[in-house]
Order: sequence, then C-alpha cells, then structure tokens
Amino acid sequence: MRQARTFKKRLLVTAIAGSVLLSGCGGDDGQDGVDGKDGVDGQPADVVAELAVTTSGFSIPEGAILVAPDAADGDDITEALSVALFDLPEDALVVLPKGRFVVTESIVVNSASGLTLTGHGINETALDFSNSNGDDAFRFQGGNGITVRDFGVYEAPKNGIKATNVNGIHMTHTATVWEGELEANNGAYGLYPLKSQNVLLENNYAFGSADAGIYVGQSENIVVRNNTAKQNVAGIEIENSTMADVYNNIALGNSGGILVFDLPGLDKAYGGNVRVFNNQAYSNNADNVGAGVVGLVPPGTGALVLATSDVEIYNNQITDNDTTAVAITSYLLVDDDLPSYPANYGATIGNGWSPTLKNVYLHNNTIARNGGNPRGALLQPIIDGYASNMNSKGTPQTFPAILYDGIGELLSNAGELAAFNALVGAEAQADGVNYDPYGPGDQICANSNINGNPAPDYDEVNTGLVYPDDPAQITMVDGSGNPLPHLLIDQMVNNTFLNCVQPRLAPAVVNFRNNIYGCTGDDLAEAACAL
Amino acid sequence: MSNNHRAIAAVLGASVLLAACGGGGSGDSSVDEGSGLTGSALNASAGAPTGSEGSCSATTDGVNWDALMTEVCPKLSDYNLFADASDPTSGPTRGGVPYDLSTALFSDYTTKYRFVFVPEGQQVGYNASEVLEFPVGTVIAKTFALPENTAMRDGAELVIETRLLIHRTDGWIALPYYWSSESDATLAIAGKRLTDLSTVNNQGQALTFDYAVPKAADCTSCHSIVPDLAGPDDQREQIFLPIGPKARYLNTNFSYPDGTVYNQLQYWAEGELLTGLPGDFNTVEKAPVFDDNTHIPSLSDAELNDAARAYLDINCAHCHRADLTLPADYAGPAGSSGVQLEYNRNYADSPGKFGVCKDPVAGGKEGYPYDVIPGNADESYLLFRVETTDSRHKMPELGRSTVHQEGAQLIRSWIDYLPRASCSPST
Repeated sequence: MRQARTFKKRLLVTAIAGSVLLSGCGGDDGQDGVDGKDGVDGQPADVVAELAVTTSGFSIPEGAILVAPDAADGDDITEALSVALFDLPEDALVVLPKGRFVVTESIVVNSASGLTLTGHGINETALDFSNSNGDDAFRFQGGNGITVRDFGVYEAPKNGIKATNVNGIHMTHTATVWEGELEANNGAYGLYPLKSQNVLLENNYAFGSADAGIYVGQSENIVVRNNTAKQNVAGIEIENSTMADVYNNIALGNSGGILVFDLPGLDKAYGGNVRVFNNQAYSNNADNVGAGVVGLVPPGTGALVLATSDVEIYNNQITDNDTTAVAITSYLLVDDDLPSYPANYGATIGNGWSPTLKNVYLHNNTIARNGGNPRGALLQPIIDGYASNMNSKGTPQTFPAILYDGIGELLSNAGELAAFNALVGAEAQADGVNYDPYGPGDQICANSNINGNPAPDYDEVNTGLVYPDDPAQITMVDGSGNPLPHLLIDQMVNNTFLNCVQPRLAPAVVNFRNNIYGCTGDDLAEAACAL
Repeated sequence: MSNNHRAIAAVLGASVLLAACGGGGSGDSSVDEGSGLTGSALNASAGAPTGSEGSCSATTDGVNWDALMTEVCPKLSDYNLFADASDPTSGPTRGGVPYDLSTALFSDYTTKYRFVFVPEGQQVGYNASEVLEFPVGTVIAKTFALPENTAMRDGAELVIETRLLIHRTDGWIALPYYWSSESDATLAIAGKRLTDLSTVNNQGQALTFDYAVPKAADCTSCHSIVPDLAGPDDQREQIFLPIGPKARYLNTNFSYPDGTVYNQLQYWAEGELLTGLPGDFNTVEKAPVFDDNTHIPSLSDAELNDAARAYLDINCAHCHRADLTLPADYAGPAGSSGVQLEYNRNYADSPGKFGVCKDPVAGGKEGYPYDVIPGNADESYLLFRVETTDSRHKMPELGRSTVHQEGAQLIRSWIDYLPRASCSPST
C-alpha cells in the first residue's frame, strides 16, 4: 500500500496543481484530506483552516484534494476528475470546483473508503454530461462510508449517481437533472444506490429522469428524507429493498410519485418493511415516457405498491393526482398469465419473490382531489368500468383514490395459488413467504385516512377493490369459471372496505460512519418520526 | 508426446542459453531432450520479484519484476516485458508465454496479443471453471491493435493500447497504457479517446468509430466480483480478478512462434507452468472457437447454442453472473440484475436467468418488452442492447463503440433457435 500511496501523490501533484499548496498540513501519514480527525501535531481538527463552506454549510478544510481548482466555466474537467478519484487514500475529501463544467466520460470510483466528494453547493457546482461518451455520470462500486454532496449532475446519458455494493452511501444536497421536457431519452435513474447497505439519501433534487428520480434497489437499511423529486417517470422508488423509511419528501409532477416495488427475477428476490410517511405526493400527472415495468405506471398516480409486502403508508399528503392517490396491486395486474408463472418466475418464486402482497397498511393520509382524469393502459379496463355502470354501484363513479386489485388475495384465499407453495425455497418459507389464505396479519388495511376534498366534492374520495378478497363474494365468472372484475367501490371514509388495522412497522436504521441516522438516530426529535 | 516435448525444448533453447546470467536457478541449465522438463519450465530463468521496492528506471535483464510489484510506471517499457520495447505484439521477455482464447470478448474488432508472465519458480494452479489461479507476481499483458481489415489480421494494423493485469501481494491491479508514439506506450489513468478509427470487417463493411482506451478505474467495472452484502455490518470488499484465462477458453490449440501447434493447457502443463490439470483431459471444460470467420448458418443447433453460450459468457458473464462456482456470497457486478449468462449455467433450469420473458428492470425500451423472446429476436431487448451504440442502452457498457456484426448475428440466431416460451409469438 505504501507504494500505491507514493504513486497517488505523484499523480495528484501533476493532475491537480492546487493540492500542492495544501500538502503541508497533511503530514506524512498519507491521509491528506482527512477532515475532523486530530492532526499529526496533536492539534484538534477544528483549528485546521477552512478553505470554503458549501451552500449547505459543509466546511471544506485545507488539505482537501481539489479537482481542477482553476477551471473556468465551461471547461472540460474529465481528466482531472478521473485522476483525482483513482486509487484514493482512505477518508479522502475531494472537492469539485465552483461553476458549471463539462465532463465527457463516466466517472468511476472503486472501493473508496470514507470518501467525501463535494462540490460547493447544489447550484454552485454543476457538471454537464450532455456530451459524455460514457453512460452513468458517476458510479461508485464497492467501498464504504461514501458521501456525495453539494453538486449537480446534468444530462447523464444513463444513470446520474449510481452506487453499487457500497456499505454506507450518503447522498445529500445533490441534484440529478435532465432539463426540459420529460422525454424517453432522459437517461435512466437519477440517484441510484443498488445492492447497498446503510443508504442515506437526503436533501437531494431529482428532476427529469425517464425512470426513477430517486431509486433504491436491492438494498437494506435505508433512509430517504427531505428530497424533492419532480417531473420524473417515478419520483421515488424503493425496489426489492428491506428496512426503508421514506419521509418528509416531496414528489410532484412525476408520472408516479412514490413507488414501492418488488419485481421478479432479481438477485435480492424481495423486499419489505418499507415505511412511507409524512411525504407530499401531488400533481404526479406527467405522461409516462418510461419503459419496462415502470413504463406501466399510470400517469396520475400518487403512490403505488406493487407486489411488496409489509409496507406502511401514513400521514402523507396525497393530492391532485389525476388517476389515483394510492394503488396497491399484485403483480397479476402486470402479468396475468398465471399458468406461465412457474416457467417464467419459478426460480425467483423459489427465492421468495411473490406476485401477491400482504400487510400493506394505509392510515392517516390526507387524500384530496385525486382521480379527476384517470388514465394509463395498465388500468384502462378498470378505469372504463368505474366510469360506466359496470361497477358495484351501477353508475359512473369517481375513480378510487385508494385502489386495491385484490386478485392475489382472492386467489390465495380460494386456494388457487397453493401449488406455488411447493416452489418456495426453504429460506423464503422460513421468512414467512407462502401462498396460503390470508390471515389477519396479511390483510391490506386502510383506515383513519382523511378526506381532504372540499365540499361538495367530499363524496368523490373512494376506495375501490377490483376483486373482492372473499371467494364467497364472487358473483361473476367467465365461461371458464374465472372470476371477473367486480369493481367494488365505496366512499373512503366510513366504509367497510379494507377496514382493519395492522401492527406498526419498525423504523429503518442507517449506520453511516458509526453514526445512526433516521427515526432512531439523528431524527429522534423529528415530528414525522413521532407519527 | 515426446515430439512435443522436443518442440517445447526447442522454444526454450534461447532462454536456456541466457539462464547463466539469470542465476538463482537449479544450476543445471542444460536441456535433456526428451527426458522431461526439469529446469526447463516455460518460465525458467524468467526471474522473479525480490520483495524489494522496485524502480521504473531500473535496467533489468529480464522482466522488471520489482517495479511491476510496487510501482506504477509512466511508460510501458519501464517494465521490460518485450524484447523490442516498441513491439508489444511479439517477442516477450524471457518467461512470457503468448496465449489466445477460443472465444474472446469483442473489443471493437481489435486483434489482441496476450502474454502471461509468471515468475520463475512459480506455477499456475488449475481451476475447472473459474479463472486459473495465477501466483502473486503474475503479469498478463494484452495489446489491442485495430487491423485495417479483419479478414486479414496478419496485415496492417494500428497498435492502440496495452493493458496490464498485475498480481501483487495485496491483489490484482490493472494499468492501461496507450501507444502515444510508435516507440512506447504511456500510462493512461484517465483513459484516452481516439476518434474516427476505421476498419473493414469480415462482412466487407467499412466501419468508422471512436475507440476508448478505458480509464484505470474502469477496469474494475468488469474485472471484479462483488460481495452480496449480508447485513449492515458486512464490510467485505469487491475482489479484482482476470476474466479470460479460464481453462475452457485456453483449451484450444495455439500456434507458437516456432511453428508448434499445441493445446495451450497441455503446453502450459508440460512446460511446468500449470499444475493440477486433470489427467483425464476430456473432463476439462472446453468452449468452442467462435470468431469472425465462423459461418453461423453452417452451425448445427448444438454448435450454435454452444457458440452463443460461450459468446455470452465471455462478453457478458464477467458482470452477469451469480452463484455457481463463485465464492459464496459474491456475484458479478451485474449479478443483481437477475440476468446471468455463464457458460456453465443450465439453461433449462431457469430460462429467466437468460432473460427469457423477463421484464427489463433498470432499463427497457419501447418496442422491446422482454430481454429475450425466443423466436422473436427483433423485439428482444438483449439483442437490441448488443446492436446499439447508444450508451443509455448498449451492452457491454464498456469497451465497445461499434457493433459486432458477427456476434450480434450469432445472438440473433440463438434467440431464434431457443425453445419457445410463454412470451414467444404465437405461431
């Protein structure tokens, strides 16, 4: 390692003229750029002179590694950035210059330990990837305790800031932006932690992604808070992830505001224990330009839970979404070819993925002015049914603000999915994955939600079930005996649909650099955490 | 066999003569023709790292092992890997062994010149399915040269870059060198983009494209296996590994410079470079030869499947892999995508792992509903990704700026050959 360090210094000196000035305070420990630790001379760190403060208040000490500090607006800083982020010392602090710069390749960082990559502020440092030859703007692969903060990434050809297989990834005060209209070629994900542990995403701004603006995939121990996701296909998406708290965020102008998905075939087969609370999800009415499963999300969706069990959605403000406030659906809505499930999904079912969902609990959400213009190919037959007399009320209804497909539960309760039990592997079985009839703890519940509509529109906040959950209530079947959609609907308040209570879920805990974040950590006193 | 022994001995003749000044050997540098290879291993007298700190400016008789082990040198020639420092395509310094892969990663139609340098006294351990176990000190040098015409790879070519994989005591590292002049290649930590390179492929298509020498950091994107982090306290790191030199790709004949044509694994084993090669050679995995000369329509179904599986393996499965023969709880960097394309994965067990009827997850494009639709290559997203150069969608993500027409044709044929699945077009 000693030799690697020698090399690194040599490179940095040549690549980053500014850092030469700073080498004096690093000492011989090879850890130039460490902030907050005692200096080699025994002085406490807080006497280290401050080079700058970001707009979010983060102090950049002298000794930081400066990337192209003398670059002028419009300069291409690709090479300086690549070199500075290659083979980093532990706990490096790398600083992007102030201004708007061009980057023409993907920036890849491997196995960084304790790295902080900072700009001067979410608006003060902007990196333009519109002419990049690479794919992702930034990709952090492996490593631990990585902070990315105080800069914006524009027009990434693929993902904005991706972090894969990192233990401890913190993104704060970053922006991932595709400017202009929401278009199919607006990259992929904005912020994109994948297969990671201890994920903390806060104070970020994600705009314009053709997929999810803020996406956490196949990860565990996750806090997503105080972010704004605007005009993406999906605002915030938690996918095949476990122990996630999503709170105090704003999702607006997306096709779907906040999504909780379990998709089949992934290495981490399923997620769960996802809490979505005290967010605002409004006016998520953008046309869906996405592809793949996210491309199926109906425009006008406030929140969508797809095939994920153990989800709690509470105290959110979900308003002005054209289709529905919250949709809760099994994967059968996406793929209704049940006979092909063993062939197409057998392996992932073995690992615990299930097309059904259980224990989804909606409570204390304020729901207003949704359903004004429902659309989306995925729901079109259901939309048509509720808009006509082909529903349980026999007259056209305002589309349900809470929509539950019910088919997975119905089939489970009828024993129609029992054969899948044989596919479930031992590990998933032990974790409670099964296709038995739903017990009380498995039920989808919605209560104490608040109808925020003004009079006289109060009666337009509805709860709808495409299928009843009880096989005994099936009154309509097709020629083969398969149940037909019943399109049950009633007002959300004081009705009998989904009228049950579930135990509260446990909060997520993020341990980042030995500090605890989230409702059991730094947000103990946060109001949202008391809800 | 004895003929082959003789052939190897002949190859080694030159290096044996030099052994005297190399020192440190058995002292018996004579080759006893036909009586085994004691003292005449392929890497005899190659020298080895001393354990001391190296120097890029050291003048060494053979490979500059110490510099390789400790230094990141600014010039490729500092490591003294080639007899003629300006020619990385032939004439390795003593101990260097050229090799080839039966089916190779596509890299913008370049010809690749591969050499492995194993320190004297060390041997490579056989591994049935994973990359061979190269000892500390091993250096793999791969030079990329773009031919004017891929149908005439012996003809004129542009030598672009040489990549080194070096097995140091703390693991493998990768260093890219760009041939900035005709005399030497220089370290290119930040990579290098060359514009408007051109070639003519075997189909007679004139192609012009940019060529990207990867950044040093890019190497890890493919050359690694990543831990499946098991919990909040799991601090395991990714592990850097070579990709190509697996038994199944080396298990093919090679034309050595002296004219010997011999199976590479057996050549290495008989040259005392490789230990553990199974006595029953038929048990050794063997990937087929697929290159731009392969006439795909002439392949039988079994050959087509075998060639496509090898192609997917060497082009995709360094990332798209999980389980099987990996260390427990490690996967390729894209193992998490659910698409896993290893050569030794059983297709019938789980067609979905090959993308069959699988929704694209972190991707997708209108008009391509599933990754692989058996019988409908045109709407298979996997093939689209192979056939596009749009960096939003292209696969592999790195190292490809133009479309491999021959490879794409192979995958197209394979998708159309696959047994029909539920997402296949109804007939």
